[in-house]
Amino acid sequence: MMSNLERLVRFGIPFMLVLIFSMTAAAQTDRLRLGMTTGDEGTVGPYTYNSGDPGWNMLLLQYDTLYQLDADGVAQPWLARNLALSDDGLSFTMDLRDDVTWHDGEAFTAEDVAFSIDYFQQFLHPRWTRVVRPIESVEVLGDFQVRMQLSALTPSLELGIFSDVPMVPEHIWSVIGDPAEHTFTIEDNVGNGPYRLVEYAPDQFYRFQAYANYWAGTPQIDELVFIRYADMTGALAAIQANEVDMLVSSIPPEQADFLGMNPDLAVAQGPLFSTQMINFDVTRPPFDMPEVRQAISLAIDREDIVETVYLGQATLGNPGWVHPDSPRFNPDIATTYDPEAAAALLDEVGIVDSDGDGIREFAGAPFMPELLTPSDNALRIRIGDLVGEMLNAVGIGVQVEVVEGSILGDAVWPGFDVRQGRDYELATFGWSPPLQADPTRVASLVHSNPDIASFNLTGYSSPEMDALLDALNATNDSQRQQELLNEIQTLIAEDLPFIMILYPNGVYAYRPAVYDDWLFMTGQGIFHKLSFLPAAARP
Amino acid sequence: MTNARHGKQLLQYGLVLLIAITLNFALPRLMPGNPLALIAGVDVGLLTPEERAEIRDRVGLDQPLHQQYLTYLGDVLTGDFGYSYRQKQPITEMIMARLPWTLLLTLSALAVSALVGIILGAIAAWRRASRLDMVLLNGMIVLDSLPSFWLGMLFIAIFAVQLGWFPSQGAVTPASGYQGIAYAVDVMRHAALPVLTLSLLSIPRVFLTMRYSMCSVLGAEFIRTARAKGISDWRILVRHMIPNAMLPVVTVLALRFGFAFGGTVVIETVFSYPGLGRLIFEAVSGRDYPVMQAAFLLFTAAVLLSNLLADWLYPRLDPRARAA
Repeated sequence: MMSNLERLVRFGIPFMLVLIFSMTAAAQTDRLRLGMTTGDEGTVGPYTYNSGDPGWNMLLLQYDTLYQLDADGVAQPWLARNLALSDDGLSFTMDLRDDVTWHDGEAFTAEDVAFSIDYFQQFLHPRWTRVVRPIESVEVLGDFQVRMQLSALTPSLELGIFSDVPMVPEHIWSVIGDPAEHTFTIEDNVGNGPYRLVEYAPDQFYRFQAYANYWAGTPQIDELVFIRYADMTGALAAIQANEVDMLVSSIPPEQADFLGMNPDLAVAQGPLFSTQMINFDVTRPPFDMPEVRQAISLAIDREDIVETVYLGQATLGNPGWVHPDSPRFNPDIATTYDPEAAAALLDEVGIVDSDGDGIREFAGAPFMPELLTPSDNALRIRIGDLVGEMLNAVGIGVQVEVVEGSILGDAVWPGFDVRQGRDYELATFGWSPPLQADPTRVASLVHSNPDIASFNLTGYSSPEMDALLDALNATNDSQRQQELLNEIQTLIAEDLPFIMILYPNGVYAYRPAVYDDWLFMTGQGIFHKLSFLPAAARP
Repeated sequence: MTNARHGKQLLQYGLVLLIAITLNFALPRLMPGNPLALIAGVDVGLLTPEERAEIRDRVGLDQPLHQQYLTYLGDVLTGDFGYSYRQKQPITEMIMARLPWTLLLTLSALAVSALVGIILGAIAAWRRASRLDMVLLNGMIVLDSLPSFWLGMLFIAIFAVQLGWFPSQGAVTPASGYQGIAYAVDVMRHAALPVLTLSLLSIPRVFLTMRYSMCSVLGAEFIRTARAKGISDWRILVRHMIPNAMLPVVTVLALRFGFAFGGTVVIETVFSYPGLGRLIFEAVSGRDYPVMQAAFLLFTAAVLLSNLLADWLYPRLDPRARAA
């Protein structure tokens, strides 16, 4: 009996394995497998995609925008040929390309542009309804020309509106009607972009096929298969096991060197406009004192955090908010680390250690604020720990509390509505790239009016800041905008409504033997539409 | 008399089910966190208060809790679980698409763990106190204490990344176009590591029950009688001992089936397997209330059904339990 078992183990199992392998090893040509580690994106339609990245970028594989960001993050004409603003800045005419077709062969015309903008105004979309709100009316002047009327001066037409909002075909969407009443399928995704979604297996994969008649040129890869992984750990195992050719999300810092050692893999790295920061409730004493906020900023050794947590793969946080690689950065603002100056500032406002236990007292009690960090974000936990230690060193007895992400969200941003206030002292936080990509959106962070400042999570308010922001929103002169943005950054660095720690680099792993022509877009990374277009078609 | 007993039993199950349904409704809402981000997408912060109200109204979140509860009860009774906040798809469809994958994993793992657990348990008891028994017993206790996610990650690292024998993730090769036998083989290759992990986690319970049960049968009078009659060891083991020792194991297996469903939450996440466990994980992460409710209900039903099965099966296998 033993000998039978032995025989089975020696010959039977290897034979079966060989049989299994030979049956499944099929050759694949001109297909790129991309790994997703975020959630499901539904049918990746305008009303069904979920995340800003990769969801919005997957949507824009199928739908083009009027303007398109280039490698430097500057908006260039795309479906639109040009934009001629009137003298008062309140209306403009726009010429459109006349060689664009939808995936079903119908021509893209001015009617589609008018329809798209009207549609997003009529049917609530969490992203674009707000974006297209300043457009009062769209008039079709010819097959490929429109005139738009604005309700107010709009500082960022090309970048803020037209590079963000996709155009949808009137002949499809006039039938769909109210998106809240419609059950979407992938057949609804008739776009005019370089790819078309042809297969969707929930929780498993998406398959996109190149659109051969794409106006800007045939895409370089015939088929894109997006494979969904439950988390980054699974995706990293898959790319090492050659089950996927590229991960669309930035990989953890400690993986960059490790994957780089694999001869079959390459790693692309560059500036990303996401942020890591410390938020506080500036209406709550003692954080209402600018000196205390300055002291906290001075006590944090950002270089240490960049080296320790990100292994150098990040840019030092600038107190003025804007990323140093942004064209709008004010180079006069420096990042300073000076724990002695921090201690002196705290002494100055009377927060001193009177009982000699190493912790300063405020209002008669030890100054021991709670610093919240989210349990689902290992990097933020480590940032929180280091910041806690650095603040302890200047006598602020920070207590680091690791809580579930949604608990932190409830404390910092209850109901995702700043009007509902906040209930925390200190918290690690971060914003995704779009907020940095358009620096004129800074008002949404620091204006005192909650209708403008949807993201003012710290309760900051300053009449001087409001005046600068209102002036910024009332001009579309680039020179004037830069002057105002310089002043705004200076004031943010002085008042510190929040503390910038760092800007993580985007670090992307891919298999160069399968595809190597990635384009790193400043602030956005390598996963976006342009990476798949022939070099001549890139703006 | 038996009818009255069955009636009482069914009443008990009904009561447990109602409590479970109520908990399924209450627990997600007691958790901190807000489903609004899931419904409205990543830019929820940019909505005006009016737009927020419109969205809450659309999915019924603006209604008072008791109203939401009654609506939910009605939906459960009619089998209509509504739409997912996140995927905007009918939940019944979402569950039906994932159920086969979870059944594939749990049933395969149950079969493997039953087979291995029973055989090893019988051998260990037969040779009890021998070196083999000690090795098996201690090995099983160690195995039982291993965290499932760790075991899964270990297998991925060894068998998928290092050796390349099996795929590390997923249920099929994405967009492969495989048909017929090639497809079946692809499914089996993908299921291999998750089934192995799930099985290893179930084997110790089956083994320990079987071994204990066998040991108590070993000392029984009828075994001594059989020996005295000169029946061979092999025949005693197969004909007299294993069938008698199997009784408690059947109960354990029926219960394991219910719990195996719960175990898939971790395993399907580690292996990115598109089953119900993964669905629950993602629904909880995003506070997708309707999906959580429906999936939890299904898991509850699986546990109750497996209990019911054990209750039903036991008297049929063991005449002694019938008299009670």
